[in-house]
Amino acid sequence: MFRSFLRFTLVLATAFLLLATAAHAETHTTNLYWAPQNATVGGEKIDVILNSIFVLTTVVFILTQAFLIYYLVKYRRREGVKAQYSHGNNKLEVVWTLLPTIIFIALVIWSNRTWHELLQSPIPPDALEVQVVAYQFGWDFLYPGADGKLGASDVRLITPDNKFGQDKSDPAGKDDFTSAEFVIPVNKVVHILLRSRDVIHSFYVPQFRLYQDAIPGRTISWVRFQTIRTGNFELACSQLCGAGHYNMKAKIRVVSQEEYDKWFAGKAQAHAAAAAASATESKDQNLVQASEHK
Amino acid sequence: MSTITAETPLTDTHAHGEHHKPNWFFHYFWTYDHKMIGLQYLWTAFAFLFVGGALAMGVRFQLAYPGHVVPVIGRLLPATIAVDGAIIPAGYNALVTMHATVMVFLVVMPLVIGAFGNYLIPLKIGAGDMAFPLLNEVSYWLYVTSGLILMSSFFCPGGAPASGWTAYAPLSAVGAYNHTQMGQSLWCIGIFINGLSSIAGAVNYITTIVNLRCPGMTMFRLPLAVWALFITAILLLLAVPVLSAAGALLFFDLNFGTSFFKPGGEGQPLLWQHLFWFFGHPEVYIMILPAMGLVSEIIPVFSRKPIFGYKAMALALAAIGVLGFMVWGHHMFVSGMSLTMSAAFSVSTMFIAVPSAIKTFNWLGTIWRGSVQFTTAMCFALGFVSMFIIGGLSGIFMASTPVDLFIHHTYFIVAHIHYVLFGGSLFAVLGAVYFWFPKMFGRMLNERLGIFHFIMTFVFFNVTFFPMHNLGLGGMMRRIADPTIYEHLAQLQPLNILCTWGAFGLGLSMIPFFVNIFYSIFYGPKAPNNPWHATTLEWTVPSPPGHGNFAVTPTVYHGPYEYSVPGMTKDYLPQNEPAPEGIHLEAH
Repeated sequence: MFRSFLRFTLVLATAFLLLATAAHAETHTTNLYWAPQNATVGGEKIDVILNSIFVLTTVVFILTQAFLIYYLVKYRRREGVKAQYSHGNNKLEVVWTLLPTIIFIALVIWSNRTWHELLQSPIPPDALEVQVVAYQFGWDFLYPGADGKLGASDVRLITPDNKFGQDKSDPAGKDDFTSAEFVIPVNKVVHILLRSRDVIHSFYVPQFRLYQDAIPGRTISWVRFQTIRTGNFELACSQLCGAGHYNMKAKIRVVSQEEYDKWFAGKAQAHAAAAAASATESKDQNLVQASEHK
Repeated sequence: MSTITAETPLTDTHAHGEHHKPNWFFHYFWTYDHKMIGLQYLWTAFAFLFVGGALAMGVRFQLAYPGHVVPVIGRLLPATIAVDGAIIPAGYNALVTMHATVMVFLVVMPLVIGAFGNYLIPLKIGAGDMAFPLLNEVSYWLYVTSGLILMSSFFCPGGAPASGWTAYAPLSAVGAYNHTQMGQSLWCIGIFINGLSSIAGAVNYITTIVNLRCPGMTMFRLPLAVWALFITAILLLLAVPVLSAAGALLFFDLNFGTSFFKPGGEGQPLLWQHLFWFFGHPEVYIMILPAMGLVSEIIPVFSRKPIFGYKAMALALAAIGVLGFMVWGHHMFVSGMSLTMSAAFSVSTMFIAVPSAIKTFNWLGTIWRGSVQFTTAMCFALGFVSMFIIGGLSGIFMASTPVDLFIHHTYFIVAHIHYVLFGGSLFAVLGAVYFWFPKMFGRMLNERLGIFHFIMTFVFFNVTFFPMHNLGLGGMMRRIADPTIYEHLAQLQPLNILCTWGAFGLGLSMIPFFVNIFYSIFYGPKAPNNPWHATTLEWTVPSPPGHGNFAVTPTVYHGPYEYSVPGMTKDYLPQNEPAPEGIHLEAH
């Protein structure tokens, strides 16, 4: 019985080791064992920590499991060999209390510095600001128009007719246009204002190494990222939000600046045309409403 | 009725058992005997294990073969779960929600606390019964009631709740968002009643351990399982009322138009998360501490060696208990909570990993220079240590706030929680069943079948849950009914299929276990009082112990793990036997 158990344990340990090494070796060749290729500046920093923790935990994993298996083999029951009578060793207790503590303190300092850098440092003034609103079950994006500035908005103003909670009296918001896909110029810092119209959703893009919940009634204003390569990605909701949760996604296109400018010009033009059309249509009505207000 | 204490004259308690032999109803269904109540918990929780396991099979089938007709039972499933035999997304959400709810509240907690807590505490501290036997039985029936209420949600209009076991508001708080108003309301009621059961149990455990220890049983002579259950009971008493209250508020939001958690009426969705995780994180320790305690009982016995660092082990349990209340925010790093709070919670989270590391090193230290016997119970205990190391190490990834930005809410956390909860708690429970079965039923389990069960469980457990780390790193979100519709996840589908077949194997691995149990209860060889040559008090009484437990109230002379004491002929010294003349016991 013991021999079969031993053989089984060894086979399993080997399998684990192979899996772990395979995971590490194939980091950049296939995505079956490792994270999808990173696409942001912040993601690079996160990957460094992730890989360091991976190395650290792999070493600890191999050491502890190896000691466990070694002890089980070496100290298995044998005729005439008695266990050593010992209640422990206080020196060892101190060592294995302090050692993990020191490692963890170092790790938490490093982690929290990066955390601060990624989310709490000042946002550059030339960042592209986009409002992202989640709802059951989809995403809306509001881009600043030619003035490069999003008009004032408030989460409390969100109604079925005012999907972004825009403050209609702010002239800066007149040229803001909406989009169903998230188009981003590469290498530019993008700052998103994250909101939800109904339940909690989350903004999750694994290639951006970015996750943030969108909370109804609040505006999350600290999420920013800078892409480093062009490509098509999927924005996924990662917070259970109802029956359609599994399919709540939007297209993200990271494109070159020229391509972005072209897309932007088209969108802005279409918005101006639509605004002009609806303005003439509702002009009379607006006048009536205005006089009633007075 | 008067309570039975360690000092109650034995004639009272024993006569009670002999004079009126209760009929079957009062023996099996309404009993004041802590041992039978423990067994009631054990059987009921195993029944729910089948329910929770079946739900998991549904989840895994859908993830491997989304939209396929579920074989055999597909067309029998209710319309809220499956249409034309194929699981629908809303039904998938319900399966996920109920799997977790059942496993946490109706399987693991009742097993580690209800079953083994009730059975072992009085026996291990030399008491005749729990301090409040009636409350004990009431607590069991509250648990059964909560289970039935939760089960009934499958058959109510709209079906079972589908907002996750974490029930994040406002999805859970507004019928128009979740479309399962009645199921979610039943969830609130079920959780509330389950909470009452836990609170009643906790009061009982604390009172019993503080007051009913037999002469000589000082706190630092308590077996570690009792220490673990003591700390767990304190955690239960402080954490569970918060969930019960939150559940009641959620019920009001759902049904009476209040807005505690709805933003429309100036409520706060994040308030629910704070309340839930203020319970939910201590809950994690509520489920793992007793398991650590059980394992700490098994390993010294089969290493024939005192536990390494008894006081460090007990203090580590206490440290986890204290720190356990300071780390709930690590579930909310990216929830929209203040970023500075996230950083602070990440510090406390790193610190709570230390006592867990201490415990692991001490288990290794116990085996070191021991004389290891590979019984099934020991294999499961060693499996626990090995799997707990993986679960502990994977936790470090998420404790690092920036890394959490990436892997939060992915399958990485699903792998992590199952390594701790299944590879941890359930392995310990299975080991404990093999270890205490002779005491509970007076029969021995078949070891050969036991080892087969262990190997199957160990292999299929790892096949099921290890690839989930890779799925998580690959960016697979939790709780999505169909991963194949995402480009970056479709390529991971082979891993999903592997997990699913592992899960089916894991389900099948329970068959030898139950065959073993049901065969051995009737036909197993008769168990002696102390089949493992162990030292704690439950092994000094007959198997199974009679009503009132101890013929004579025992007196304890030393700590619980005196194995291989030099100069003695036998290699163990039970707690109720003083050290022979001239033998010196080391202080621990």
